[in-house]
Amino acid sequence: MSRFKGLHLEPLWWGLFSAGGVCFAVFLPAVLLVFAVLAPLGVIHLNMNALATAAGSIWGLLFVGAVICLPAFHAAHRIRHGLHDLKLGGGLWSVVLCYGAAALISASALWGWLALTSWF
Amino acid sequence: MAYKAPMKRSWWLQHAAFRRYMLREATVLPLVFALCCLLAGLWSLQTSAQFHAWQQFMAQPWVVAFNLLALVGALYHALTFFQLFPRVMPIRLGEKQVPAALMVVAQWLGVVAVLLAMLWLATSGVLGAWQ
Amino acid sequence: MSEQRFVQVEVVRYLPENKTPEKDEPFSQFFEVPYTESTSILDALQYIKEELDSSLSFRWSCRMAICGSCGFMVNGTPKLGCKDFLRNYPNGVRIAPLAHFTVERDLMVNMEEFLVHLEAVQPFLVEEQQAKAQGVQKYTETYQQTPAQLAKYKQFSNCINCGLCYAACPQFGLNPEFIGPGALALAHRYNLDSRDHGKAQRMKVLNGHNGVWSCTFVGFCSDVCPKKVDPAAAVNQGKVESAKSMLIQMFKGNS
Repeated sequence: MSRFKGLHLEPLWWGLFSAGGVCFAVFLPAVLLVFAVLAPLGVIHLNMNALATAAGSIWGLLFVGAVICLPAFHAAHRIRHGLHDLKLGGGLWSVVLCYGAAALISASALWGWLALTSWF
Repeated sequence: MAYKAPMKRSWWLQHAAFRRYMLREATVLPLVFALCCLLAGLWSLQTSAQFHAWQQFMAQPWVVAFNLLALVGALYHALTFFQLFPRVMPIRLGEKQVPAALMVVAQWLGVVAVLLAMLWLATSGVLGAWQ
Repeated sequence: MSEQRFVQVEVVRYLPENKTPEKDEPFSQFFEVPYTESTSILDALQYIKEELDSSLSFRWSCRMAICGSCGFMVNGTPKLGCKDFLRNYPNGVRIAPLAHFTVERDLMVNMEEFLVHLEAVQPFLVEEQQAKAQGVQKYTETYQQTPAQLAKYKQFSNCINCGLCYAACPQFGLNPEFIGPGALALAHRYNLDSRDHGKAQRMKVLNGHNGVWSCTFVGFCSDVCPKKVDPAAAVNQGKVESAKSMLIQMFKGNS
C-alpha cells in the first residue's frame, strides 16, 4: 500500500472547485438573471410545460451539473477554507460538513432531474 | 527571547487586499441561497401547483433581493476568476505566452454568449416569452 | 534639488532584554525625519540610527533591491526599505517588522522560519542520480538550453529571498508549517527547468497538506513581490502538477 502513502483528496476537491468556479462565472449570471430576477419580477413569463420537458432531457442533466452540482462544490470548497481563514475549523469536521452538504445538494438535484425524465 | 505576534481572527480586516479576498470568498454565500432556490425550482416542475408556489416564493421582495445579490456576486466572482485563470493555466505557443488580457476578454465573451443564448431561450417561446 | 520637509516616522521596536514577567511586547517610538524626493524608507532608518537613536536595529545591505535584506511592513504592506520612499507617505509612516515572522529585535525577524522551507524544496539543479552514481563528468560541462526551454521558467527565477511574500501570506500566518509562496515558486522554477532532475523529490513536499494545497490564492504575495515573480501563479500551477503527480502515484505507485 506504499503507493497510497501521503495521498489525499485535496486534488479532487480542487478540481471540483475549479470546474465549479468556471460554471459559477460563465453560466450563473445568465441563469440567475433569467430565472431568479427577470421571471420573478414579471418581465419574462416562464412556460412550465416547456421547462419540465427541457429539464427532463439530456440538456437538463447538463444544466443540473453545470448550474447546481459543480457550483455547490465550488461553494463548499470556499466555505471550508473560509472557516480555516476565520480560525473556526478547516479540519475533518468542516471537510465532512462542507463537501457532504454539496454532495447532498448534488444528489437531490440529480434525483430531481431523474424524476422529470420519461423513464421515471 | 523573541516575540511572535498572534494571528487574530480579524486579520483580514487589516488590509484592503485581504478585504477584497474575503469579499471574493464571500460571493459563495448568496450563491448557496440561489442554488437552493434553483433546486427547489427543479423539484417544483413536478406539478403546476408546486410550480406556482415556487414562482410566488421567488417573487417575494427579500428573495429577489438575495438573488440579485447572488447575481452581483457571480459577476464579481467572474471578474476575479477570469484574472486568475490565465495565471494558473497559461497557454504557451513556443516562446510566446498568450496575453492574459486576451484570455480575460475571451472569457467575458463567453459570459455574454451564454447570457444572450439564455435570454433567447427564455423569451422566444422555447421556455418562455416576454411578459 | 528639492526642498527638505519633515515627516513623522513611527518605528515598532522590540527589545528582548526589557522583558518582564508581565510584559514582553513591542512598543512604538516616534521620530521626526527630514526627507527629500529621494529619501527611501531605509535612508530614514539610517538617519534615525545615526542622528536620533543608535540603539535601533534593522538589516540592510545593498540599497538597490537585490540583496533582499531590508524587508519591513510599511503602513501594513510588506516593502523593501530601499525600494519605497518617504515621499509616498507625506502624512506619516509606520515601519514594523515583517508580519508572520518571529521578531528577534526591533525590525529584525527570524528568517530561519522561511529558510527551512526553502531548503526543503531543494532550490537548485538536482543532478541525474545515475550520472552522479557513475561519476560521470557530464555536469561539469556547460549546460545547454534553448530559448524556449528558458522561457518556461524565466518568470519565476528572479526571486531574491526577501520574504515579503511570506509577510503577505495569511495562510503562512495561520499555519507556519505551510511551505509558503517563495519556496513553492522556486520549487516550480526548478521543476520547469530542462536541466533539472529533482522534480520527483520536490513533488513529495509539494503534494503534502503543507505544500501547494494550503494556498487559497489570496494573491497578495504577487502584489508585494519586488521582483514581479508572481509566486501565486507558480503555486497554483504547482497544484496542477501536484494533482498530476498524485494521479500517477495512485496508478503506478511512484511519482
